[in-house]
Amino acid sequence: MTDEIRFEHISMEFPGVLANDDISLSIRNGEVFALVGENGAGKSTLMNILYGINTPTAGSLYVRGEKVTEFSPKAAINRGIGMVHQHFMLVPSFTVAQNIALGREPKKGKVLFDNKKAERLTRELIEEYGLEVDPSAEVRDISVGLQQRVEILKTLYRGADILILDEPTAVLTPQETDELFEVIRRIVREKQMTVIIITHKLYEVMAISDRVGVMRQGKLIGVENTCDVDERKLASMMVGRPVLFDHLEKTGDPGEVAIKVDDLFVADNRGLPAVRGVSLSVRRGEVLGIAAIEGNGQSELLEAITGMRKINRGRVTVCGNDATGKTPGEIRAMGLSHVPEDRLSTGVDKVASVTDNLLVGRQKEKRFNLFGFHQRRSTVERYASELYKKFDIRGAGIHTEVGSMSGGNMQKVVVAREFSFDTPVLVISQPTRGVDIGAMEFFHTRIIEKRNDGAAILLSSADLDEVFRLSDRIITLYEGKITGEFKADAITKEEIGLYMTGTGEGAKA
Amino acid sequence: MNNSGPSFWTTASSTLHFMLSSATPVALAALGGLLTEHAGIMNIGMDGMILMGAFVAAAVAAIAKSALLGVLAVIFLGVLIGLFFALFTVKLRSDEFIIGCALNTLALGLTGYLADAWFGLDGIRIDMTIPAMQNAYFHNINVPLIKEVPFLGDVFSGHTAFVYITWLLVIVMWLFVYRTPMGFWIRASGESPDTLRTAGKNPERMKWIASILCGVFCGLAGASLSLGKLNCTFVENMSDSRGYIAFACVIFGGANPVKVFLAALMFGFFDALGDQLKVIIQSDLPYAYLVNAIPYVITIIMMVYVVVSGQRRRERIAKQQLRKLEQK
Amino acid sequence: MKQAFAWIRRRLNLSYIVAVIISIFVALLIDAIILVAAGHNPIAAYRGLIVYPFSSLRHFGDMLEYAMVLCLCGLACVVGSRVGIFNVGGEGQLLLGGLVAAYVGSQMSGMSMWLVIPCAALAAMATGGLYAFIPGILKVKLKVNEVITTIMLNSVAALICSFFSSSVWKNMSQNEGIDVKEFRFATLIRGSKLSTAIFASALVTFFVWYILQKTSKGFEMRLIGDNPRFARFAGLKTDRIVIIAMIVSGMMCGLVGMFRVYGAEYAFISSKVSNEYYFEGLMVAMIAQYQPVPTIIISIIFAILKSGARGMQNAGVTIQIYWVMQATVIFCMAAQTGIRASIQKARQRRAAERDVAARREGGVANE
Repeated sequence: MTDEIRFEHISMEFPGVLANDDISLSIRNGEVFALVGENGAGKSTLMNILYGINTPTAGSLYVRGEKVTEFSPKAAINRGIGMVHQHFMLVPSFTVAQNIALGREPKKGKVLFDNKKAERLTRELIEEYGLEVDPSAEVRDISVGLQQRVEILKTLYRGADILILDEPTAVLTPQETDELFEVIRRIVREKQMTVIIITHKLYEVMAISDRVGVMRQGKLIGVENTCDVDERKLASMMVGRPVLFDHLEKTGDPGEVAIKVDDLFVADNRGLPAVRGVSLSVRRGEVLGIAAIEGNGQSELLEAITGMRKINRGRVTVCGNDATGKTPGEIRAMGLSHVPEDRLSTGVDKVASVTDNLLVGRQKEKRFNLFGFHQRRSTVERYASELYKKFDIRGAGIHTEVGSMSGGNMQKVVVAREFSFDTPVLVISQPTRGVDIGAMEFFHTRIIEKRNDGAAILLSSADLDEVFRLSDRIITLYEGKITGEFKADAITKEEIGLYMTGTGEGAKA
Repeated sequence: MNNSGPSFWTTASSTLHFMLSSATPVALAALGGLLTEHAGIMNIGMDGMILMGAFVAAAVAAIAKSALLGVLAVIFLGVLIGLFFALFTVKLRSDEFIIGCALNTLALGLTGYLADAWFGLDGIRIDMTIPAMQNAYFHNINVPLIKEVPFLGDVFSGHTAFVYITWLLVIVMWLFVYRTPMGFWIRASGESPDTLRTAGKNPERMKWIASILCGVFCGLAGASLSLGKLNCTFVENMSDSRGYIAFACVIFGGANPVKVFLAALMFGFFDALGDQLKVIIQSDLPYAYLVNAIPYVITIIMMVYVVVSGQRRRERIAKQQLRKLEQK
Repeated sequence: MKQAFAWIRRRLNLSYIVAVIISIFVALLIDAIILVAAGHNPIAAYRGLIVYPFSSLRHFGDMLEYAMVLCLCGLACVVGSRVGIFNVGGEGQLLLGGLVAAYVGSQMSGMSMWLVIPCAALAAMATGGLYAFIPGILKVKLKVNEVITTIMLNSVAALICSFFSSSVWKNMSQNEGIDVKEFRFATLIRGSKLSTAIFASALVTFFVWYILQKTSKGFEMRLIGDNPRFARFAGLKTDRIVIIAMIVSGMMCGLVGMFRVYGAEYAFISSKVSNEYYFEGLMVAMIAQYQPVPTIIISIIFAILKSGARGMQNAGVTIQIYWVMQATVIFCMAAQTGIRASIQKARQRRAAERDVAARREGGVANE
């Protein structure tokens, strides 16, 4: 086999984020190459470079030995590269055949688009590859699984022999996934295509790929032959951070139940079930960690508990109050604070100052309001300065625009605000994503302090080490269901990894 | 019944005749506006584009003493306005609403000011005795055969060339939008620009093209106002909110040329009805104003309907998928 | 000293002020070219522009009255945009407010001024608010684009006003419109349109500024406008606040209509009560980047331009030049913002390249 694609010292920096850090990688002709890593590890960025959407900040890319100089999707298509994006690139109001032909339309006469021919060509492709779909249906009317087929057909129509699939199974049912894999095997075997598949689902890596590359925080951690590794090894490569932490002192016994979730069903943004019958409870003075690989319902679960997402079925109780279907404001009033998963979209007002961001949620408090309406700016600023110091926020002072701060400091603003409410319940999601090691230690200490003070903490993190370090109990979520529940000191990371990937005993039972 | 019979038919035919001529400038502008709409640009600036078109058509026709040259000048101007509009909305990424408003204001001021400065208080008067201005294309055309047919002849015959060209353009535009690759690209550039980009076509370029074509169409709409009447002339604020009506038509017709044209006819109908109302109900009250407001209200209702049915559609698809999952 | 400087910089966005000044300057240059093209002497014209508003008390009064209208309309837009809803329907709310206020006045003929004025003001605000409520609720509940609905409603309002003011509500003794001379506001400067309404306007302006900038309600509104998801996350009732802001915006517009009728025109005649004044206010708000204090200042600048445009008539320039000046300022502002954004993007790209290069060299050195 020869090198089909070669990345040499590729780096890609977006404002403030180094998404790809000096990556060198070769992909061979006719293989299925899996690229795994957590969200934000830089997989999609690397593939967007290959597809010409991003121009790398540094480094070079070779396709079939030829150095790529022009980075554009058009050039990539001409090089025979096709990509199925995580968010489908389809025009909803066009038919299947029209979407497939877009950019390379068959013509009738010299000017008109030949719809019949487009449909015929589509049907030919469908028959050739066995990807059944109605060519004349409008894309907005067909299911996500079928839309993905359209995406694949589109790349085949454009004559791709290198196919990039960005998290193709995230939106599929198990059956659809099997069918997809069957198609991949067939095109590799019969058409000698090269397939690169991005995923976090490790069993899929084992099922489909010849070789696998693991990325973490913009770096390529390692490339292995799939037959030489197992899921456990991959999981540890994916989530591990090579840092040894001091032991955190946990004191006190768990008190009464503060969060109770009964048989919860929640849908994702597309209306498909994401959380399927989850029940859990968290006591005061304990941390319940959720260990799950991205996209297994943990985000939707926490959003449902905090009122940010509609609950389809089941019940949520916070501090003895029924929180089902209540607004975030009402649930906060019951005694819950929330550190959200994505601080930029949900946790801060980017264009407001640190002061304003720290004040949010307290703007109606008496001490900040003269006569109940006039905001006492000096008191507010004094309060913000105190928090600023207390939480060791580092930036250009309390008047800085939050959007201009580093990830770690922005997270400190969020945590400072949420922790300052001193509520009995804390829901924390991804507390240290995109945060440097020093700040990470700081957040961990704060979380354990809260626990020792008697807060009930529900924690979700993509970092398994973090979950282990902070939690008293751990539950594993897989495809929206709880697959296991463990005492943190009674199980190893490797065992948890099995439950997270749906292969542990709990899943079999 | 017998008494009102003939008068009913004459009223009806003149109402419909009025409707067709009243709908023409609006339809022409809306045919351009539907392109920018498809390209994902909210184009509020059509009114200004029409106004500038009306001014330049009249001015050039008056100076060059040729209506045809006036129309050619308007096409050239339309390209320039389209480029100007796209420069701000596409290249500089300004707020399209503000740019549209500013364009309207600029047109109102510039045409008013220049008309006065260049042509004096009387405005632009075109000497209709000049042969080139009597060019039959811009006068009312009596369509052979149809004009002989009673009623239909009164309705469909005797319009200016702009009216008939507009009908032709509706079909051409429909073909362009729904049956040519460029039409597909323009639609994709608004609905899903990244898709178009990954298909190797530049969505920004499509927006530029849509904007330029819109400028040309709006310019022609303006020309039909100033040159499409017997007394070719330009008066201040001649567009008289027709750009907004065109915008309403685009929204109402879902940017489909045929439906947009029907929407323009609807506005034209209510305009004509308002005009004929005095004859029909014999009242001193100016009910015409209220009648003219009806199509706007219908447009709002239409918008709500489109949004609600879109939501229903999404819900239905989610439910179908859910059912499929449950079966498995 | 250094602290004082930092305070000033925080309070005054210097780069913004420079941008506005440059925009106005460049716009006047472009307009000069247009003036030359039309055969006028730009120097004479601009002299008239600057001198006229201050040449007599009457001119100054008219200028202030116009500044007041622009300022209130601009602020009405600011109130909406602060919570992320764009009220383009102010024109319709203004006209309907004026119409209803005039009707109320015409029906209360002979009664005490102290009773009629508050009634008319309330009626105007209620009408404007109600008319803004329609697009507001459609936006919040159904996500129907408020810009388009308000544009449609503007046309509807204009037609309704034309109907009522020229027929059923028209004073039969009058040639046109609904006459309310009986209850007109006292004129402050003889012969000008400046009336006591300016005090009421100043009060409204102050309140809007105060609520937006100094109270916890204004703080919440800003949160919603900046990031509605975050506002919901933080426990705010976002939908309700958005609708209320829209209603308040409509009420302000309605009030402007009433001020125009009772303070300046003494009768309701559609074309005189407002000639797309709200759209001018909208542009003022846009140039002011939807901030209250700049809105006040820029509405005064634009009022001077409009009033000055009359002064240019001595140089043979007609009043329409004002529209041209206004539009060119906006295009200059937009061009500046756009160019600056693209320069910044290019700069970021270069910085990233340098960054990666430096990192690489550092890495090599470490090895």
